[in-house]
Order: sequence, then C-alpha cells, then structure tokens
Amino acid sequence: MTGSEPTLVLPSDLREAILERARTGDPREVCGVLGGSFDPDSSRVRSQYPADNVADHPRTRYRIDPEEQLAIFERLEDRGEEIVGFYHSHPRGPPRPSETDAEAATWPDRSYLIVSLSPLDIGSWRWRSGDSGTEDSSDRESTGSRTAGKFERETLVLE
Amino acid sequence: MRVTVDVKGEATHEIDTDELPGDSTSAAGQSASSDGTSNPESTYADLLTAVDLSPHEVSVLVDGRPVPEDQPVDADHVTVLRLIKGG
Repeated sequence: MTGSEPTLVLPSDLREAILERARTGDPREVCGVLGGSFDPDSSRVRSQYPADNVADHPRTRYRIDPEEQLAIFERLEDRGEEIVGFYHSHPRGPPRPSETDAEAATWPDRSYLIVSLSPLDIGSWRWRSGDSGTEDSSDRESTGSRTAGKFERETLVLE
Repeated sequence: MRVTVDVKGEATHEIDTDELPGDSTSAAGQSASSDGTSNPESTYADLLTAVDLSPHEVSVLVDGRPVPEDQPVDADHVTVLRLIKGG
C-alpha cells in the first residue's frame, strides 16, 4: 500500500445523471451499477446503469434484484467494461456508508458511491473485506461493521 | 458431475461435485450428518462452500434464474452474484 487514498474518476455528466435520479427518486433510495475500468485502488467510471430498488422498505434500504443485476452485468461486459462499483442514495442521511451498508457489503475493493440529498453531497468508498489486506489507518476515514471488513473513503475525481 | 461456477466480477471455477464434502452416492436417502459424509447429493450451498462463499452474501442463478441454495445441483453451469444491497 502507498498510504494514499484510492480514487474513482467520475465524468461530470454521469455525476449529474446520478444526482438527478436521486432527486427524482426521493423519498425512495435509488440504486445502480457503475461500469468502466476497475482497479482495486484506481477505477474510472464510463457508464452508469440504473436499477430498480426492490427492497421491502425502499425509503431506508436498497436492493438490486439478482436477475436485473445479471442483465446489467451482461450489458456492461458486452461493452467491454468491468464492474467498477455501485451507487445508491440516502434521501435523509449523510453521504457515507450507514451501519446497514457495512453489514450488507459483499463486493471487495469495489466502489460504493453514495448520494445524500440533505444536504446534497456525494461521496465514494471502497469495501475492504477482512482478507483484502487493508489495515486501519489514523489518517483515513473508515466505517466498519460487525462483519470482517470496512469501508475506506476514496477520492472522487470529477472530469 | 463437473460444474462451472462463474462468480461474476471474479473467477470461474470448475468443481467436481463428486469431490465435494458431504456428497456420497452410496449414502443416498440418509440424512446429513455432522461429519459431512452422508449427504445424498451436493447442493448449491456445497458449491458455494467450495469457492469460499456464503449463501448470505450471494445469489445463485441457473439459466438466469435464482435457485434455492439448499437444492441439489442440477446444472453444469452456475452463475454466482454477490448481493448488492444496503441502507
């Protein structure tokens, strides 16, 4: 490890599209998949794939149906992209992972982009599972869980 | 039976169900025991165990449709998706 934060490059038009989805989806959480170039420490988003939120309580939870998830992955792969990560909104919460997010995270090293609507803000985090080798560091903001792993904040680069 | 297990976003594994712990054709009809030697058939959950995954963190799909993890393996190609959910 170099000691620097991981990065996620996000084109401005995709950022605006995700923010708009979050606004129009309010008060429900919205969610989707990010496709592009994946690297455990430096990824680049090329596409965003909206998905339905099929959680039982969509104002405070999100879940992507596995069949839709697979269909999105196939579209993404057909375009030569990799799974960069995912996004969801917090209509009434901050732009950082909740305890529920940490307990439910399952994709090691992928980006979890979170949009807050009150106030409007956006942040991104990498899920580091217990075996991905990331240690706690005092200069990194992180959110852990009861499971073996934690979220590591990453730098969002807009272009 | 040879099964291809495609863990989306990660690796593809070739698993021989005859070699999975808990699989024993000679013990068909008996209930599972704690030593894992009397399961009549391998289940999708056994496949997940073989690739170090838990049913709590993934969905198993056959022909694009989710299948219960406790069902016997009845396909030679299985797709495994890590769940995307949170709050």
